Amino acid sequence: MSANPKWAMIIDTTRCVGCLACVAACHNQNELPMTEYFNRIEEQEFGHFPNYNRRFTPMQCQHCDNPPCVGVCPTGASYKRDDGIVAVDIKKCIGCKYCILSCPYNARVVNDEHGYVHKCSFCAGLLGKDDLPACVGTCPTGVRVFGDLNDPNSEISKLAATKKTVQIGKDLNTRPSIYYIIG
Amino acid sequence: MRAAAGSALASGLAAGTLSCSTERAAGVRPDASKIPTQCQGCGANRCGIYVYVKNGRVWKADGNPKTYNNAGTVCPRGHAYIQDIYNPDRIKQPLKRTDKGTYEPITWEQAFEEISTKLNLLIMDDGPQSVFWIQYPMANMPLAFRFMHALGSPNTITHGATCFTARNAAFNATCGGLPDNDLKNSRYIIMVGRNPAGGVKLQQIRDIAEAKRKGARLVVLDPRHSETAVMADDWLAVRPASDLAFLLAMINVIIEEGLYDHKFVEEHTIGFDSLRDEIVTYPPEWAEKICDIPKETIYRIAREFAFNKPRALIHRGYHGGYGAGYLNSFQTARAVAIANFLIGNYERVGGLFMPLKPTLGELEKGGHPAPAIPDVEKADGAGVPGRYPTASYSDGIAHAVPELALAGKLKAGFVYHMNPVRTNPNPARVIAGYKKLELLVTIDCVMSETAALSHYVLPESFFLERDDHVDTVHSGPVAQLTMVQQVVKPMYDTKPLLEIITGLSRGLGIGKYFNFTMDELNDLRLRPFGVTLDELKKGGVIEVGPRWEEGFKPCKTPSGKIEFYSSQLEAWGLDPMPRWQEPLVAPDSSDKNSFRLLHGKQAIHTHSMTANVPYLMELSSRYDMIRLWINRKRAEAIGLKDGDTAVVESDIGKGTVRVRLTDGLHPSAVWMPSGYGIFSKYLTTAYGKGINYNDFLDTYFDPAVGHIMSNEIIVRVAKA
Repeated sequence: MSANPKWAMIIDTTRCVGCLACVAACHNQNELPMTEYFNRIEEQEFGHFPNYNRRFTPMQCQHCDNPPCVGVCPTGASYKRDDGIVAVDIKKCIGCKYCILSCPYNARVVNDEHGYVHKCSFCAGLLGKDDLPACVGTCPTGVRVFGDLNDPNSEISKLAATKKTVQIGKDLNTRPSIYYIIG
Repeated sequence: MRAAAGSALASGLAAGTLSCSTERAAGVRPDASKIPTQCQGCGANRCGIYVYVKNGRVWKADGNPKTYNNAGTVCPRGHAYIQDIYNPDRIKQPLKRTDKGTYEPITWEQAFEEISTKLNLLIMDDGPQSVFWIQYPMANMPLAFRFMHALGSPNTITHGATCFTARNAAFNATCGGLPDNDLKNSRYIIMVGRNPAGGVKLQQIRDIAEAKRKGARLVVLDPRHSETAVMADDWLAVRPASDLAFLLAMINVIIEEGLYDHKFVEEHTIGFDSLRDEIVTYPPEWAEKICDIPKETIYRIAREFAFNKPRALIHRGYHGGYGAGYLNSFQTARAVAIANFLIGNYERVGGLFMPLKPTLGELEKGGHPAPAIPDVEKADGAGVPGRYPTASYSDGIAHAVPELALAGKLKAGFVYHMNPVRTNPNPARVIAGYKKLELLVTIDCVMSETAALSHYVLPESFFLERDDHVDTVHSGPVAQLTMVQQVVKPMYDTKPLLEIITGLSRGLGIGKYFNFTMDELNDLRLRPFGVTLDELKKGGVIEVGPRWEEGFKPCKTPSGKIEFYSSQLEAWGLDPMPRWQEPLVAPDSSDKNSFRLLHGKQAIHTHSMTANVPYLMELSSRYDMIRLWINRKRAEAIGLKDGDTAVVESDIGKGTVRVRLTDGLHPSAVWMPSGYGIFSKYLTTAYGKGINYNDFLDTYFDPAVGHIMSNEIIVRVAKA
């Protein structure tokens, strides 16, 4: 880990079998109500029988370097941390939902009980202690690689240097911290 | 709503395990404790997990990085199932069925007394062989054996005949046991109907992904584009029931082109000449017409497979494909075994190997002699020449129980955490059979369909509330011991299995066989390894003994070798070598509504036991997973659009279900996820959601093994 970490994730969709372990792990880790999600899997189908394939794409907050949700937040509840994480201070959130409308990734959800908006934090409370976000550690095929892009020796930096990746919605200039390998 | 929490047992106990900085795990908050145990979210894997308790409440799970079956990861069922401790549908005290069919709470003392009195009378009239015990083959099955043997009954039964017994019997006949797959080190992997990404085996999908990173190729032969096929280099959309044709043609190419391991075949196998004479009948030109895979592809796959020998394998399989699927499943599994061993991959790195299995200590050493094994045949005919000779004694034949009850041969039974009324074929028949029993006792945590037919329902403590029998399931290339360990105190008036059996044994005159505690039992089980129970509880897993090493070891077959030709099978009146065999039924090609009904698991469900887990059913709904898969062109030809409701009908059943149109399925079949169709009204989350393939499957016994032939179903599908 570097002195000024920049947290990021590479998601290798060619290994994702859509098992939803990451979704269930996130649910417990964040003690989410039954129908509130910080992450999800999207399934796409290609081709015609028998020349056919599928792709499962894990989706969540992309922790953008140019996050639309932060710009539209009237109270500063949504903010960008120095370590790259887009965070929500729920005490400042008034539940106006501008951020939900502005997010192109559909990554934010209203807490039904209290009315604030919450979302994936890269399990921020766990980081810097050799711990990993819940969705990363539970993945059986190692789809998700998480780490510090400012540390040239981190697994994610090495992978980023050798694999072709894409950012979703690049043309929106959101500059996500999640990079996808789509094979 | 959250139910009251059980208080944490281990907040102090686990303090020493809190700092695990070297482990690949999500974090622990300072106010949480972390206790190693074994997951029970499916019957099979029993993954090593840590369960976190925070403020007295079960919070989350992480994988134990040392256990073989999951290596640090947890599947979605594992995450969700720990929360089922708070399921409001749990049974909170022993229940007795009333004359009106409702249930009234009774004390454990009353339950033990009434059950043992009734059972004593039945045994006096009909003999102990009229009693059975059925459960998944889990770590505590030896307790069931001990209990039944003490009574004098041989009838301990698992779900095997509804799941995997064709595979087991075929590998037993070929190499004398069931091998494991060294996927991680393989260079060429063929999956025949096996989908470890749906019927989850975490270690297997992890190892396949790892092998692929190292350049291995993955071939998936499956009528459906399975979740494993997402990682595949080749998806071969085989016609259902014709995997045997594909495999025979593969064997043909490997032999005709001399691609087999000549030295291995000469030294370690018997019957090669007979096999070579037989297999000339099955070239790829013949097979392509049956299995719909072009002959060029069969040649290519056979050659690629053989060129990578011995680090190539056809996965040994499980339920899908040939576990208990078709009339030809036993011979299909034989062909899988033979194709593997022709390339000499037996006991080889990157091939198949016989997994290690530690031998646990005996209770005799602690002064607890075992009851004699009853000298009577099993009522279901398992292992009995002339009936089902290849079926195993320990698995028995699950769906024979209702038939034997209807025939008056079984009178009383115990069902432990199993739900045959939902998971066996032909529910009307199963219900009739189980209702005919004069005493039915179900031990479970919830009121399953089977519990709801029982005279008595005894609530076992949830797995997070109890210690259980030391387990050896995490043994492959390493031999490991694990166990279920109590994480929180019981919330209700429930007991662990050993206390239930002990309570029953006193009134049955067999109390002398159950005069030990679980700790004493586990101490004795661990004694041969020089490991203490405290050590096991602290680590959650302990490796014992030497690791697997490459190299041929004599097979437990009559010849001590790999048997391509089996004289034993011949003596039992079965084909000594795999020959092409038609399936029992086929869809009507002139009827555009006629399909074969296939089924399979989704990663979020196990058998019928997780449909009532609220979060898992939430995932089913959110991802719209309770749908019947149907080939897009076939669906459009009968006017079905994606999401429409269809009527599905077989000779024995009818139901409605929404459809998913896809190009990822062979046109001759429809595919139904297997975890739904709960009809017990006590299961409030799952009740009435989806349908189940068992509703459409007639009662069959395959002639070799007695399995259910679960894919021999023809249905008509039409727009509702």
